[in-house]
Amino acid sequence: MVQLVGSLRKELAESLSTCRVLVVGAGGIGCELLKNLVLTGFKNIEVIDLDIIDVSNLNRQFLFQKKHVGKSKAQVAKESVLQFCPTANITAYHDSIMNPDYNVEFFRNFMLVMNALDNRAARNHVNRMCLAADIPLIESGTAGYLGQVTVIKKGLTECYECQPKPTQKTFPGCTIRNTPSEPIHCIVWAKYLFNQLFGEEDADQEVSPDTADPEASWNPAETEARAMASETDGDIKRVSTKEWARSTGYDPAKLFNKLFKDDIMYLLTMDKLWKKRKAPLPLDWHQLESQGRPQGEVKAVGLKDQQVLGVWGYCQLFQHSIESLRSELQAKGDGAELVWDKDDAPALDFVTAAANLRMHIFSMTMKSRFDIKSMAGNIIPAIATTNAIIAGLIVMEGLKVVSGELESCRTIFLNKHPNLRKKLLVPCVLDPPCANCYVCASRPEVTVKLNVLKTTVLALQDRILKERFGMVAPDVNIEDGKGTILISSEEGETDANNGKFLSDFGIRNGSRLQSDDFLQDYTLLINVLHAEDLEKDVEFEVVGDAPDKAPPPPSNQEDASSVANGNKDSAQPSTSHAPAEVDDVMIVESEGEEEEEEEASSSSVAAVPTSGTKRKHLDDETGEASVKRPRTNQSHDAADADDDDDDDDDDDDIIALD
Amino acid sequence: MIDMIAKEDPIISEEEAAQYDRQIRLWGLDAQKRLRGSRVLLVGLGGLGAEVAKNLILAGVKGLTMLDHEKVSQESCRAQFLVPVTAQGENRAQASLERAQYLNPMVEVRAQAERAEDQPDDFFLQFDAVCLTCCSRDLMVRVDQLCSKHNIKVFCGNVYGYYGYMFSDLGPDYNYVEEKPKMVKPSGDSNDGPKAKKAKVDPNETTMVKKTASFCSLKEALEVDWTTEKAKAGLKRTPVDYFLLHVLLKFRTDKGRDPAPQSSGEDGQLLRQIRDDVLESMGLNRELLSDDFVSYCFSEMAPVCAVVGGVLGQEVVKALSQRDAPHKNIFFFDGRKGNGVVDYFGPQ
Repeated sequence: MVQLVGSLRKELAESLSTCRVLVVGAGGIGCELLKNLVLTGFKNIEVIDLDIIDVSNLNRQFLFQKKHVGKSKAQVAKESVLQFCPTANITAYHDSIMNPDYNVEFFRNFMLVMNALDNRAARNHVNRMCLAADIPLIESGTAGYLGQVTVIKKGLTECYECQPKPTQKTFPGCTIRNTPSEPIHCIVWAKYLFNQLFGEEDADQEVSPDTADPEASWNPAETEARAMASETDGDIKRVSTKEWARSTGYDPAKLFNKLFKDDIMYLLTMDKLWKKRKAPLPLDWHQLESQGRPQGEVKAVGLKDQQVLGVWGYCQLFQHSIESLRSELQAKGDGAELVWDKDDAPALDFVTAAANLRMHIFSMTMKSRFDIKSMAGNIIPAIATTNAIIAGLIVMEGLKVVSGELESCRTIFLNKHPNLRKKLLVPCVLDPPCANCYVCASRPEVTVKLNVLKTTVLALQDRILKERFGMVAPDVNIEDGKGTILISSEEGETDANNGKFLSDFGIRNGSRLQSDDFLQDYTLLINVLHAEDLEKDVEFEVVGDAPDKAPPPPSNQEDASSVANGNKDSAQPSTSHAPAEVDDVMIVESEGEEEEEEEASSSSVAAVPTSGTKRKHLDDETGEASVKRPRTNQSHDAADADDDDDDDDDDDDIIALD
Repeated sequence: MIDMIAKEDPIISEEEAAQYDRQIRLWGLDAQKRLRGSRVLLVGLGGLGAEVAKNLILAGVKGLTMLDHEKVSQESCRAQFLVPVTAQGENRAQASLERAQYLNPMVEVRAQAERAEDQPDDFFLQFDAVCLTCCSRDLMVRVDQLCSKHNIKVFCGNVYGYYGYMFSDLGPDYNYVEEKPKMVKPSGDSNDGPKAKKAKVDPNETTMVKKTASFCSLKEALEVDWTTEKAKAGLKRTPVDYFLLHVLLKFRTDKGRDPAPQSSGEDGQLLRQIRDDVLESMGLNRELLSDDFVSYCFSEMAPVCAVVGGVLGQEVVKALSQRDAPHKNIFFFDGRKGNGVVDYFGPQ
C-alpha cells in the first residue's frame, strides 16, 4: 500500500509543497482555484489581477465580501485564503500580466501557470510567455453553465493560438447607419452615438445616414456617384457631431429631432433601401410630448430595470441622460471625453433610450434597460457552481503536470446536460501543435491581404499587429535588404511614420515585414498581398482564415458556445475605447462529441475542433442536413474516431444559434 | 410551499438585484425568487459539505441548516475552507458557521451539532430540500423514503479520494420548465422574399416549456437486479463507478467511517474483500472492478469536492427553482480520468 498524505501519494504531496505556481486572475475562476490549490497542498502561489472588487462579483467570487468592494482582488483573495490556510505562501500582485516586468525570466520561476482570465488579449499574451519560457499552462474558461479546461505545453500540444478563434461579430457600417434589422444594430448605433457626442470620436463609428451605401443605388453608375459625393462632401461637411451638439448646447429636443426625425427622413429619400424592407417612421419630439402620458404606477413585481417603458418614457430618459452627461462633460473641462461604462447610470440610460427610440422607429420591439445592459455591456452571466467545477478540474490537471504525467492531461468540457454517451464532463485527448500556427510554429509566417496605398503604419500596428496578432509592443522592419525600421516599440521613435501609407515605404505586393515582440519573444513574418478589391469596411484579411463569420452574441445563454474569448474581438484592448466588459469566458462547447480515450490512436490525433464547430462536427457525423451553426474559421482534421453513437439526439437540446 | 412563498414576497431588493445580477441574467428572476423562498438542510460539513454550503449560500436560498455531529480534526486544513485552523476539537457545523454566514449575509445560516440519525421525522419535514453527505446507506435510504413522501427533494453525495458521486430523488412527479427559443412563424407576406417563408428561430425571444420527470427512491436505485437478461445486456454501458459506490457504502456500513489514510493498509485489504463480496452477491464477476481503485479512494480530495459539490449544488438550485432538466439520477466523477457521467439506476 502506497504511503499517503491525505488522498495523495507521498511523493506528489511533497512536490506540491515545494513547487511554485502562478495564477493569472483572481475573479470567478481565480477565487475557486486559489482555494483548491491551498487545500490540495500547493504551498507557493503567486496571484495577479489588475481589477478591483465589484458588488456584482459577490454571487460567486466567494473570497470577497461586501466590505471589500473597491479593493484589489488579488490582495483580498490572498488575505481571505490565509484565513483558512495561514501556512500558505502567497504573493499577490495588483497589476496587469501584460506589464513588461513579468518577462520570460519571471515566468520561468514557476513549474506551472494557470489562467483564470476573462479576455483574449491576456490569454494570447500569457500563451506566448509560457511558450517562450517553456512552462506548462493550464487554460480555462466559463460562461453560464458551460466551461472547459485544457493544458498547453510547448512542442507537445496545441498552443492557445493554434486554432484561430472566431472574432466578435461586427456589423457593416450601412446596417448600423441605414438599415438596422435587429436590436443589436440599434444598440451598437447608440454606443457609437455616445462616443460621437460625449466620447472619443471615431471615424469608424459614424451614426449619420450613409449616403454611399451601395444598396441605396439603383444602378452601378449611381453607386459611383454616391461614393464620390460622399467623399467630396467631406470638404464642405458640417462640423463633427460633437461640435454640432456643443453648438446647440446639447439641447435634447434638438438632438432628438436631428437623429430621430431629420436623419430618418433623409433615409426615406433613399427609396431603394425600402423597397423590400419596412420603412422607418420618423418621430417628432413635440408631437410625442403632447401625446405623452405619464408612466403611471408601475407595480414593481420584477426588477425595475426589467420594465419596458413607452416611447415618451424613452424620450424623457433620452433627455435626462443627456442633461447628466452634459454636466459631467462640463465638469471635466475643455477637451474632455467620457468613456462609456455600463455601470455608469447616465451612460447606460443614454444608450437604453437612444437604442430603444431607434428600435421603435425601425419597428422593433423595445427592450428593457436590463436587457440592453446585457447586450451593450457584453455581460456574460456567471454562477459559482460552474466556476467551482472548472477550478476543480484545473487542479486535477495541475496534479498530472506536477507529477510529470503530461500524456495523461486532457481537455475537459463541461456540458449543461449529459451528451449521448451520458457524459457531463467530457475529457478529450490533447491535440498536437499545428504545424503552421503563426505563434508556436518554429518560424511563424502569415500572409495578409491589404491595400498598401490605403493602409497606414498606425493601422498596421494597432489593427493588425496588436488586435489581430496579439502583440503588445511590436517592432517592425521591412525585409528590403536595408532592414528599414517601420515601427519601433520605443515610445515616440517612429511616431512620424504613423500617418504614412505602407506604399510610401516601398512596400508592395510580395513585400515581407518582420515583426517582433521582444517581451513575448515572438517573431512573425508577414507576407504582404496587395489587393484593391477588399470589401467595404474590411481593412485587411489574413489569408488562410475562412470568411469571418462568427456567430452573433448569444441572447440565450445555452448558446454560450458561440461566445468569443472576452468581449472585444481585438486581441489587444483598443486604446481608444473603455476596457470591455469582461467576464470569465472562453470558447466553450455545448453538447460536444468527445474522443473516447480508448478509441483515440496515440500518434495521430483526430482533431476535435476546439472552437465553435463541435456542433457542426456532430452534424457532419450524423449527416444532418441543417447546419446548426455557421462555419467558423476552422480547419477540420481527420474524422472523429467516435463512431457508435445513436443519433437519437433529442432535438430539443440542440439550439440553433441563428 | 415554494410557490406560495414566491407569490407572497414579489419584491426583490436593490441589494439582491445588484448582488445576484449575474445569476439572474442566467436563470431569471423567477428562479431567483424561488431560491429565495427555499430552506435547505445540509448534513455533513466535510470537504464536500463545505462546497455545497458555499454554493447554496451564494445562490441565495432563504435558509441553510448545517447539521453535523463530527468534530474538526487535524485533517481539517486539508479538508475544508470554512473551519478556522484554531477550531480543532470543535463541532464541524458550528465551527463552519461564521465563515459560512459571511459568504452571504442575506441567507439565514444555522448550525446544529447533532447526529442526523437522532433526528425525528418532523425535523426533516421543515425543509424544501435535504442534502446528505458523510451519511451511511441506511440513513440515506430512510431519510429519502421519508422526504420523498412529503414532496421534499433529496440529494445524496460523497467524495472518496479521487472519486465522487451525487444522487437525486425529486419524487415520482417532478415538474419544471425549460427556456427554449421561440419559433417565429413565416408571415406569408410575399414581399419578404424566399428567406421569410421558412419558420425562423428568433434569437431574441424565448418561451418557457413545461416538462415533467419521474425519479425513483435511493433504495430502488441501489437495489438494481443484475441477474436479469436485460440488466446483463446493459452492463457494458454501465459506469463501473456504480459498483465502486456499493463497495464504499458497504465499507461505511461495516466500519462506521470512510477509508482513512492512517489505516490505508488494512482498509485497502478490506476494500478488496468487500469488492469481492459485493460483486458476488450481485451475481457479477469480480473483475468488473479492478484492484486499481483501492489506492485512490482515501480521504476527500479538495478539487474532487469542488467538482462534485458544484454539480450537486447546481442540481439543488435547479430543483428549488424548478427550472432546467435535472440530472437523472446519479452523477459519478472519476478524478483520475476526468470523467463525469450521469446515468439512471432504478425501475424503468
